Amino acid sequence: MTEQDQTPVSAREADARVAIDIRAFQAEGRHDAARERYGELVARYQRRAVRIAYHYLRNAADADEAVQDAFIKAYMHIGTFREDLPFEVWFTRILINGCLDRIKARRRRERWLAPPMLDAAGVERDPAEYVPSRGPSPEDLVLADERHNRLMDAVAELPERQRMVFMLSHIDGRTSREVSAMTGLNESTVRVHLFRAIRRLRGLLVAPTVKGTVAGRSKRANR
Amino acid sequence: MRIADVLFRQGHLSDETLTAVLLDGDRPAHLNRCDRCSGRLRELGRWLDDLRSEALAAADEAFPPERLALQQAQILRRLEQLDEPSRVIAFPAHVAAAPRTDTERRVAPAWVGVAAAAGLVMGLIGGQVWATLEPQRPAPPAVQADQPETMTPPGQPVNAELLDYDFERHVPDALVFFDEITPALTQGQYAAR
Repeated sequence: MTEQDQTPVSAREADARVAIDIRAFQAEGRHDAARERYGELVARYQRRAVRIAYHYLRNAADADEAVQDAFIKAYMHIGTFREDLPFEVWFTRILINGCLDRIKARRRRERWLAPPMLDAAGVERDPAEYVPSRGPSPEDLVLADERHNRLMDAVAELPERQRMVFMLSHIDGRTSREVSAMTGLNESTVRVHLFRAIRRLRGLLVAPTVKGTVAGRSKRANR
Repeated sequence: MRIADVLFRQGHLSDETLTAVLLDGDRPAHLNRCDRCSGRLRELGRWLDDLRSEALAAADEAFPPERLALQQAQILRRLEQLDEPSRVIAFPAHVAAAPRTDTERRVAPAWVGVAAAAGLVMGLIGGQVWATLEPQRPAPPAVQADQPETMTPPGQPVNAELLDYDFERHVPDALVFFDEITPALTQGQYAAR
């Protein structure tokens, strides 16, 4: 083992090394080795990716497909990845673009299709949803489901950019600079969208009775 | 502190300012001496933390570790399919193009049509030539002269004498006896008159 290997490296440098290795393996035709190396990146960023995609698309099956497609696309275009950018920023941009495409396609589809089947609570059930067989009681699950649904509904009511910025900034824990690099928005714009998203969510979740007022204010703010 | 906070909120901080405090970490001096604003800041921080943990829990519930492992396997399998060169399946035409043995013969379809046309033309010409070279055949015999020239039209009374005449002319000798003992038709007609 060389001295360089023993030196602790940041996650960003580690990702860059992995990307360089994958490119070299691909050039040599050693695809098995390239895939094995890429598997490290998949394992590292998979959970983060599904959280973003799930909150963006609000459907587990769609989020699953979007994440898979994003990882495949990143592998195919790893040659265009620049090491001066963190891999996760580059990858998140691919993922977000994929999610946006899916949302557009879904809207086009919904124009022609009948409304989806809803359960008694008025929630569209995804057959791929995982239902754990042990753990919290049914009452807890129902309450948690209700809270999740309220949260998801509130997040879904945010305008597209506010939702994206809120998810990346608050739920994914990215800084304004990172969100700016991921989305292509200015840092100041990112901050404005984040403030507006939080204000609107507070209006929707803390005081649902004044929802109309908050929505009205938010409409003005979105202009 | 903003001027708007001083003018409209009696010096207390707005929600935007509190959010900025949480996001940026720049803590204004007002928070150190105002319990109300510091309380609002704590409440806002708690709410945002709860929101984050709720959102993460919802996503993690939808994607438990088993599903993530399955997804990872699917990604790697799709990558494997991408890297594999696509297999080309031999088209059956290659099998038909195998070299023929000496015993096999093949006639081009065009020659079949040409031979049929040539056969038709030769048949027509040969028929014409044969018709000119063949000697004239004798004409078919004329109608029998001894046949009565007058025929009784349908619906007219039969001439009895002619009928007897024909009968006598054609009756064999062996039946003459029977003819003599049988009353003739003409005798019946004369008796009726």
